[in-house]
Amino acid sequence: MRSNALSLGLVALGVAFLIIGALYAFGVLQIFVSDPNSPHHYTHMILFVVLAVAAFIAANFTRAKAV
Amino acid sequence: MSWWQALFMGLLQGATELFPVSSLGHAVLVPSILHWSFRQSDPSFVPFLTLLHLGTATALLVLYRGQWVEIIRGFFVAAVRGRITSDSERLAMLLLTGTIPAAILGVYLEKHIKAFFASPYAAAGFLVANGLLMLGFEFLRRRAERRAAPDAASHEDVEEQFADAAHISFVAAAIVGACQALAFLPGISRSGVTIGGGLLAGLRHQEAARFSFLLATPTILGAGLIEVPQLFTTSVPLAAYLAATVLAGIAAYLSARFLLRYFRSGRLDPYGWYCIAAGLLSFALLRLNA
Repeated sequence: MRSNALSLGLVALGVAFLIIGALYAFGVLQIFVSDPNSPHHYTHMILFVVLAVAAFIAANFTRAKAV
Repeated sequence: MSWWQALFMGLLQGATELFPVSSLGHAVLVPSILHWSFRQSDPSFVPFLTLLHLGTATALLVLYRGQWVEIIRGFFVAAVRGRITSDSERLAMLLLTGTIPAAILGVYLEKHIKAFFASPYAAAGFLVANGLLMLGFEFLRRRAERRAAPDAASHEDVEEQFADAAHISFVAAAIVGACQALAFLPGISRSGVTIGGGLLAGLRHQEAARFSFLLATPTILGAGLIEVPQLFTTSVPLAAYLAATVLAGIAAYLSARFLLRYFRSGRLDPYGWYCIAAGLLSFALLRLNA
């Protein structure tokens, strides 16, 4: 399924994942963490960076290509 | 943990990690049954197991080194081009698809999963459940085989009706990947659920094992990167742990070679029966020792 709208949506999702990852890294976000007292949650940050990369790859796959 | 205990655990983990019998379940049960003094609830126990898993992951990287070069190359080519044109590119994207659900579930269920580590009874129960799962996978597979090749003369003829790892669907890869999270429960085998999932998705036995081993590598490496630093914050016999890791790697390499040969004609059933028997026996021994 190729569509520029879907591709843009996935890019936006990727950016959102990066922001969430940064919030976990700086300890702003404390949702579903094993140690709420920890100032950083790097495990969650890594997860969201991976999700962002996957979203960007998916965006590239769904982008309408010029023939 | 003494040197000998660490080496024994390394051998046990490496030998059982790739067999569909749950290395984690064995790693939790055996010390409890043998009354070893170290505790699974010790902060260094999970990082130790993770270090052993890294030994296994290294063995898998060595075993599939040629394929991993192709997969990594395929990943970057397909990601940049935005199109899949070869089996290795498809396999790379399938592995990414399968790894993401396991990573999400692993990160968010970590705390609850660790709570189970302290209970060998839970591990014994999960080991029995794992055995039933293996038998269930093979029951469903046999039904699919009867539909796909009702007149086949041999098991090899039947297997030819099924696909190789690169031709599993992306939805199936995601489901098989998510099943990996079950393996965070001690007693449930990662390779068991992923091989079983691969069989249900229509892979040949040997290809299901290959997909399982390839899928395990990034998951185990990722878990290692997260857990291993904890080893250096607690007081542990690091030299013994590293020697155990090497032993785990050697045992895992030999296990993988054996299993790939075994699954040319073998099935999951013997491992299912073993898990049920081992789980029940462990339960009985734990009750007797209580």
